[in-house]
Amino acid sequence: MINAMKQIYQFRALLWALVTRHLAIRYRGSVLGFFWSLLNPLLLMLVYSLVFKYYVRLQGVEHYSVFMFTGLLPWLWLTSSLNESTSSIVGSGHLVTKSMFPAQILPLVPVVTNCINLLLSLPVLFVFMWFSGVAFHWTLLLLPILILVQFLTLQGIGVLLGSLNVFYRDIQHILGNALTFVFFLCPILYTPETVPPQFKFSLDYNPLAQFTMGYHDLILDGAIPSLFSICFMIGFMILSLIIGYWVYGKKHETLSELL
Amino acid sequence: MSRIAESKVNLNVDYSIDIVDLCKKFKRSTLKKGSYTTLKTSLLNWFFKREKETISYTQAISNFTARIPRGASLGIIGRNGSGKSTLLKLISGIYKGDSGKIAINGRIAALIELGAGFHPDFTGRENLYLGGIMHGLTRAQIDERFDAIVKFAELEHVIDDPVRTYSSGMYMRLGFSLAIHTDPDILIIDEVLAVGDAAFVSKCKDRISHLRNTGKTLLLVSHDLSAVEQWCDEVIWIDAGKEMDRGSPRRVIDKYRAWVEKADQKRLMSEPQAEVVVNHPVPEKLAKGRWGSREIEITSIKILDKDLKEQNLFHSGDKFILQLDYLVNEPQEDVVFGMGINRADGIVVLGTNTDIAEIAVPALNGANLTGRGSVRFVIDNLILNEGTFFLDAAVHKKDGYPFDYHQAALKFLARSSYPHVGVVVFPHEWQFLPEKKVARAAHD
Repeated sequence: MINAMKQIYQFRALLWALVTRHLAIRYRGSVLGFFWSLLNPLLLMLVYSLVFKYYVRLQGVEHYSVFMFTGLLPWLWLTSSLNESTSSIVGSGHLVTKSMFPAQILPLVPVVTNCINLLLSLPVLFVFMWFSGVAFHWTLLLLPILILVQFLTLQGIGVLLGSLNVFYRDIQHILGNALTFVFFLCPILYTPETVPPQFKFSLDYNPLAQFTMGYHDLILDGAIPSLFSICFMIGFMILSLIIGYWVYGKKHETLSELL
Repeated sequence: MSRIAESKVNLNVDYSIDIVDLCKKFKRSTLKKGSYTTLKTSLLNWFFKREKETISYTQAISNFTARIPRGASLGIIGRNGSGKSTLLKLISGIYKGDSGKIAINGRIAALIELGAGFHPDFTGRENLYLGGIMHGLTRAQIDERFDAIVKFAELEHVIDDPVRTYSSGMYMRLGFSLAIHTDPDILIIDEVLAVGDAAFVSKCKDRISHLRNTGKTLLLVSHDLSAVEQWCDEVIWIDAGKEMDRGSPRRVIDKYRAWVEKADQKRLMSEPQAEVVVNHPVPEKLAKGRWGSREIEITSIKILDKDLKEQNLFHSGDKFILQLDYLVNEPQEDVVFGMGINRADGIVVLGTNTDIAEIAVPALNGANLTGRGSVRFVIDNLILNEGTFFLDAAVHKKDGYPFDYHQAALKFLARSSYPHVGVVVFPHEWQFLPEKKVARAAHD
C-alpha cells in the first residue's frame, strides 16, 4: 500500500493530465460546457424539490431544498466516482496492455474529477443557502476534512471495484443497482427523524448514511458529528483503503492479461 | 513500482537488458473467450468446492535467456503466436514473468502500439502532452521537444485539429515521432515499421539507424526479415516460446526461412488435395472439376521434382515434372494430351497441348493405344515467381471432344529467392557498362 501511494506520487503528473483530460472530454462539443456540472445537480434538485415539497409534501423540514441539496451533492460525487472507477480499468484496457501504465491511477481519475465537480458546485449551494436565509456556521471550516475522508474512502472502494471488475465483470452491473438501493438508505430525501426507531440501525451502521449526516451536521446544523460517527467514518475509510490496495496488490500483475 | 525495484538488481551493468531463465505461462481459461469467471461461478466454487477446476496452461515463454549489451541490437523472429510479442511485453513490464529475472538498465520506449492512449477528440497538441507524460516526460521536456516532434511527424498544419480527423497514417506518424523523441536508452519495436508512406518509413528507418549509431539499444520484432537482417547484430529465433537458434542474422534467418518452407510443404502435403479450399471467391477456371466421356481416363496426376519425388513446392529454377497416368478403356484416334497452369488469382500462366505443339503422341496415335501408360510434361527450369498455382490436365480428341478433363486438379507453391513482382522470373542479370567520360558542356 505504501508502494501504491508512492506510485501515485510518482505519477501525479500523469494523474493530473488524465483528470484534465477527463474533465475536458466530458464537456467537449457541448455549448454550455463546464456549466453542465453546475446545471446537472441544480436540475436534479429542482425535480426532487418539486416531488417531495409539493407532491409528497414531506412535513417538518425547514428549507427542504437546501437540506436535500446538501445531501445530494456529496452523493452525486460518490455515485459518479464509483460508477466510473469500476469500469475505468476495463475501459482503458488499451493503456494497460500496450504501455507501461500503473493501472491503479485509473480508478483514481474519476474520484478526483468528480471531487472537483463537487468543489465547484459547493458555491452554488452556499448562494442557495444565502437566498433561502439559512444561517452559516463556523463548522463549515471543517468541511475539507470530511471531504478528505470521503475522498480516501472513495479511492479505496474505487481501486477495489476497478480491479475486481476486470475479473468479475458483473460488478459494474451490480453496482448501479446497489447504489440506487443505498441511496434510499441514506437520509438525503428524508430526515433521520422520520425513520421509525426499529429501522434506525440502517442509518447508524451505514457508513454512507454517516457521511450524509456529517454534511448535514457541518453545513446546516453547525454541529460536529458524534464521536461514534467520526470513528465509524474513519474506520470505514481505513478499511476500504486497506482492502482496496490489498486486492490491487494481489491482482495487478495479472490485470494486463485479462484485458 | 516492482519494475524499478527490479532494475536496481542490475545483474550486470554492461548490459541494457539482461534476461535469465525467464518463464511465462498463461492460464488457458483466461485465454478462452466467454469463460470469464463470473461472480456466480466463483461463489459457487467457493461454497460447494465442486470438483477441482481443470486449468491448463500454455507455456508462452520457456527458459528464455538473453543478454543485450549496451548499444547492441537484437532481432527476434518467429512465426505468428511464437511468443515474440509476449516476450516484448515481459521486457517492457506490461506482463510479469512467472520465474526468472529481467534486469533493465535505462529508459525503455516501447513502440508496441503507436499512439496508444491518444484520445480522438483531442487535438494533436493536447495528445502529445498527454502522451508525453505517459512516456514519462515532464511538461518542460515536452515543451522543449514539441516542435521537433511535430516537424518529424510532418503534421505542422494539423497539429491543432482533433486526431479523429487524422488519417491512420498521420496518427501513426504522431505516435512514432513522440515515442522516438522520448530519448530512450532502449527502443523496443514490435512490427510498427509499417507506418505511413514509403517516404516516412525511410525517414523512420534513418532515425532508428541514427539511434543505433548513438549507442542506443534496439530490440526489434518483425516479419520483415530484411529489416531484421539490416539492423540487428544478433537474431534470436523463437518458436512456441522456446529459443530455436540464435546467432548472426544471416545464418539464423536463412535457417528460419528454410524451416518455414519445410513447414509450408508439410502442410501442403497433409492437406487433402481433393479439397483445395481457397477463401476468396474462386475464379471459375480454378474451381475443381472433372468431366469427359472417359474413353481414356487420367487415373492420376502427379507433380515430381528432379529426383522424381512428389513435390508441391518449387523454387524458381527448379525442374518441374508433371506426370499423367492414363488408362485406355476404348482405343481412340487423334489423342491429345494437354496441361495448364493458372495462378490463384486466375491468371493463365501456360496452357498447351500436344496438338498445339505439333507433337505426335508417339506410337499411340491410332487404335493401338491400349492399356495403361504415363505421359510426362517436363519443365527444366520453372521460372515462376512467388505464388500459389493450380494445375489442369486433360486428354481429349483433336477436335476438342473431351475424354477426361481435370480442372484445378492440383495446387502447388512457387517460391523465389527475392520478392519480385509479377508471374515469372526470367533468368537474368544486371550489367553495368564501364562509364564513359563525357566532356562537360562548354557553355556552363
